[in-house]
Amino acid sequence: MPKQEIQGMTFDVDGDGFLQQPDLWTEEVAVLFARYDGTGELNEKHWAVIRFIRNHWKETDMAPMVRKICEHTGLRLREIYELFPMGPARGACKIAGLPKPDGCV
Amino acid sequence: MKETRTASQQKALGLFTEKLNGRLISHLNSCVHCGLCGESCQYFLATGDPRFIPGRKVDLISSIYRRYHTVTGRLIPKLTDARDLDEETIREMVDVIFGACTMCGRCSAHCSIGIDIPLLVRSARTMLSEMGLVPGGLQSTVDAAIRTGNNMAIPRNEFVDTILWLEEDLKMEVNDESAAIPLDQPGKRIMYTLNPREPKFFPLSISAMAKVFYAAGEDWTLSSNHYDVTNYAFYSGEDQLAAELTERMVAEMETLGAKMMVLAECGHGSRSHRWEGPEWIERSYPFEVKTAVELLAEYIRSGRIKVDPSKNKLPVTLHDPCNLVRLGGVIEEQRYILKHTVSNFIEMTPNRTNNYCCGGGGGQLSMSEYNDRRLKIGKLKADQIQRTGARIVATPCHNCIDQIMGLNQHYGLGVEVKTLGEIVADALVL
Repeated sequence: MPKQEIQGMTFDVDGDGFLQQPDLWTEEVAVLFARYDGTGELNEKHWAVIRFIRNHWKETDMAPMVRKICEHTGLRLREIYELFPMGPARGACKIAGLPKPDGCV
Repeated sequence: MKETRTASQQKALGLFTEKLNGRLISHLNSCVHCGLCGESCQYFLATGDPRFIPGRKVDLISSIYRRYHTVTGRLIPKLTDARDLDEETIREMVDVIFGACTMCGRCSAHCSIGIDIPLLVRSARTMLSEMGLVPGGLQSTVDAAIRTGNNMAIPRNEFVDTILWLEEDLKMEVNDESAAIPLDQPGKRIMYTLNPREPKFFPLSISAMAKVFYAAGEDWTLSSNHYDVTNYAFYSGEDQLAAELTERMVAEMETLGAKMMVLAECGHGSRSHRWEGPEWIERSYPFEVKTAVELLAEYIRSGRIKVDPSKNKLPVTLHDPCNLVRLGGVIEEQRYILKHTVSNFIEMTPNRTNNYCCGGGGGQLSMSEYNDRRLKIGKLKADQIQRTGARIVATPCHNCIDQIMGLNQHYGLGVEVKTLGEIVADALVL
């Protein structure tokens, strides 16, 4: 199983760097993942997106549609892409500790 | 000879036998080991690992053919380098056939005798799929499409809500309350398809095409029942499932009574639905099929939409998706579009049918196991992009877009990646 070491902490991840055990996610994990993948320091807008994705996943076992992320956070679509340069899947969902979504992402 | 074949290995060999026709046998027996393919393969160029030379992959597959389908191979396998389909061979196959090939076909284009290497690779993938050895992420993408109707398992109501949300946006964008994104409307000229990643995570490309259709006054619809342009069974090698997904699309076209199926910007989806589909379902389609790229070029050429290249001022380069360009023959349309919609278009080198793969084709994007290799072979693409000095990379394939977004971050390219639809929409004069 691949490991990812960030600032002295080691995480079990898949080959794409998504957390192997999403239940082990904490806000500290999000901070470290965001620094590691180039998203940078997380601000309140980032957190609004991350918390919404996290809760949606806990309730439905799915990553939310980006429309829902916009509606629930009040952010515009283009803002989401600016906040997470790797996009909603490889960026936001990974930082929120979700497993990698299927498909061309 | 040690007998290690299990029931699934037997079935895999049976399937291989079924697939053996004159064409496949010729390709299996024709390699002259000239080595030209090595220099054409990104995996070999990026890693120098001889196991990745396409000719070696051909050897691996043909060694199994020789073992079970030639007299010498059956009797004295060592003499002809014939190999048992045993655990070691299988492990090696999974690693190079799934893990080190994007099925980009560049090796075939350079092959001195024209061996169809992607055909052989796909046949080997079919065998591996029969043994349940398709890598997890690729298999679950196929399964999601079969189970839910789209490869990201988007529930129908959520898809519809997203389209309605985008429609509101379109009305504001063009300042016209009658602007629409038609859903499930029968008897239209065009049924447009989508890659599920568009409604799920990247809907700007849907908005862009809707705006272009609005400008063209097109008679079109989307289907909420079956819109998925992808067919990952093409990558996993599962012919029956590939046929099933094709049948569903054909059935939806017939239900809606649309005259033409227009394929979203998706390389393997275009290949699957336009060129492979009729082979899988063993009949031709009763409707016309066109890629979005061809349709966009047609709109511009006929004057049906007006575009102004000065609206896109940043330098743009173009990435040619393998399945659409080298393997599909849609080569000049995207260039025609860019020449009319951007002020500064710069070709990357090499390009057209000699272009490098983005590195994410062949299902690589969905196989996390091989992520490191995917980024490593993408270095060739990253370097190509960097050399152009472009700020925007246009490419008519959502899979390529995701891979180039990854390369952008990994290699610090500082570019924006766009579909051709987005470029055209930005250049529209309404």
